[in-house]
Amino acid sequence: MLLVPCPHCGPRNQSDLRLVGESHSRPNPNTATREEWGSYLYLRDNPADWLTETWYCRAGCRQFFKLERNTATNEFRNPPMPGDKIGIAPYTTIDVGSSGNQAGANADGGATFTRRMDGGEK
Amino acid sequence: MTASNANGARARLGGLLGRGGDRPPRYSAGALARKGLTGEAWPRVWQDHDLKKTYDVIIIGAGVHGLATAYYLATNHGITNVAVLDKGYVGGGGSGRNTAIVRSNYLTPEGVAFYDRSLDLYNSMAADLNINVMFSERGHMTLAHTDSALRTMHWRAEVNKLQGINSSVIGPDEVKGLAPSLDTTSHPRYPILGALYHPPGGIIRHDAVNWGYARGADHLGVEIHQKTEVYDILVQGGELAEGKGAGGKVTGVRTNRGDISAPIVVNCTAGWGSLISAMAGVRLPITTHPLEAAVTEPVKVFLPTVVVSGSLHVYVSQTDRGELVFGASVDPLNTYSMRGSLSFTEELAGHILELMPSVSKMRLLRQWAGLCDMTPDYSPIMGFTPVEGHLTDVGWGTYGFKAGPVSGETMAECIATNTTPKLIEPFKLERFNDGTLVGEKGAAAVGH
Ligand SMILES: Cc1cc2nc3c(=O)[nH]c(=O)nc-3n(C[C@H](O)[C@H](O)[C@H](O)COP(=O)(O)OP(=O)(O)OC[C@H]3O[C@@H](n4cnc5c(N)ncnc54)[C@H](O)[C@@H]3O)c2cc1C
Ligand SMILES: [Zn+2]
Repeated sequence: MLLVPCPHCGPRNQSDLRLVGESHSRPNPNTATREEWGSYLYLRDNPADWLTETWYCRAGCRQFFKLERNTATNEFRNPPMPGDKIGIAPYTTIDVGSSGNQAGANADGGATFTRRMDGGEK
Repeated sequence: MTASNANGARARLGGLLGRGGDRPPRYSAGALARKGLTGEAWPRVWQDHDLKKTYDVIIIGAGVHGLATAYYLATNHGITNVAVLDKGYVGGGGSGRNTAIVRSNYLTPEGVAFYDRSLDLYNSMAADLNINVMFSERGHMTLAHTDSALRTMHWRAEVNKLQGINSSVIGPDEVKGLAPSLDTTSHPRYPILGALYHPPGGIIRHDAVNWGYARGADHLGVEIHQKTEVYDILVQGGELAEGKGAGGKVTGVRTNRGDISAPIVVNCTAGWGSLISAMAGVRLPITTHPLEAAVTEPVKVFLPTVVVSGSLHVYVSQTDRGELVFGASVDPLNTYSMRGSLSFTEELAGHILELMPSVSKMRLLRQWAGLCDMTPDYSPIMGFTPVEGHLTDVGWGTYGFKAGPVSGETMAECIATNTTPKLIEPFKLERFNDGTLVGEKGAAAVGH
């Protein structure tokens, strides 16, 4: 079970959230070709690497948000802060070690969280 | 590529007559006694080779799918200039990690016909490959705990019967008769209302199947290269960077042991399938999820059939050695990490005890995980891709071991004849643009 850094609730058990999947932008259904629509619905990059995904915090704040996770190691990086325009602001990777409530070792995934350098506690 | 049928016919004739020639040497009681007394070494089951510069066919992945494809290319079509490459060892992927359930009671007519052919091949495998695969046709029972589950069971039973598959819905009393250790009272949270019973289903020794195909293919001249990792697929003329992607043509692969050229490169890497096809510029509708399993200490045999419970997300069978083998549904988190977890064990144990309260004192020996290549419709992706010479045999999810033989047979035909065999036509990649999905979730989500 992973500890997922919800931008609103802080770290929560994975079972409190639902992983919606890889984040892709939706083509306009009125103009999309069959191939575009088919690939939006079904095709996935599925990398063994960093991936931006959509999560839904179903047992907590009930918000949708995006997180970056490494699918090979299950580390999260740059978790957004409340009020961030998610996915638009430029991110910097920095390991925050012991400061801040979002840092910490995952119970069994062994992942540590990093967060935005300019994030601050809003 | 032209098929040399004479070769294939000779191999089959040799097989019928039980003669040496094209068949690898037998394991016999006589040989065991002789070697036991003399201390003489057994011959290596497959050989190591230097990599050649070029092959007719390169198969990536030495699991049951890659090995069976190589074997049937050699036996049925006489194509033996074939290399099977694996970054690890033979059977190191899902093929050596699965719970070895074999059955054909699927939900769609396409699925039923396909998996039933595999069951035929499993039935004659011990003789064909000359190795004891320990196929135990002990029956397969999928429990229904809700009205809607019972309805799906009836639906599956009717689809199955229409295609001549032995499959029917039975009531709680018959369930109790077949597996007395199950709690069929009305006490549990999810009482057992009935089951889909499929007598031809069973379990098999997965390692023997992998080794049997490896040995058979090696004997016919196929080269198996372990510790040979594919870094890239070389493609020319495609629409993407480096000539990859639709419209391109495969020229070979780049490995940790150098470049090799071949006009045909087949992706048989299951959980790693997206990464391999991406090397040719082909995106697949696949996400990779771990599936965990566990095994207990051995006890006296008490569970005669395979028992699956979709509502409780568990299934269990007892091996000939007496261990209980447990499995579950895939982890909802897509990841390439095969780390086990305590939450899995906890949940599994809880659900097993709901089904069989009497096993509460048994101890778990081991747990492990393997990677599953999940597709949106729980059916595989087989055959040609938009890149000429790049074929896939992936999308095997949690249910692909049983499909190994029929996939090998049909993929070999696909490669040798350059046409898609009828049996795998429904599983083409284009179905995701056409919307002609083959929905098997109802028959494959938990009962693998
Ligand atoms: C716990 C568990 C239980 C299961 N239970 C069942 C069951 O009861 N019944 C059933 O039918 N199915 C079951 N399955 C599913 C089944 O195991 C798989 O679908 C099947 O084994 C896939 O076989 P394969 O040959 O396609 O791939 P695999 O056996 O996974 O082989 C893929 C190979 O590709 C190699 N590879 C990957 N990347 C590279 C590279 N870059 N270069 C070279 N080689 C590479 C890997 O090393 C690996 O050996 C189960 C799976 C798991 C994990
Ligand atoms: Zn939340």
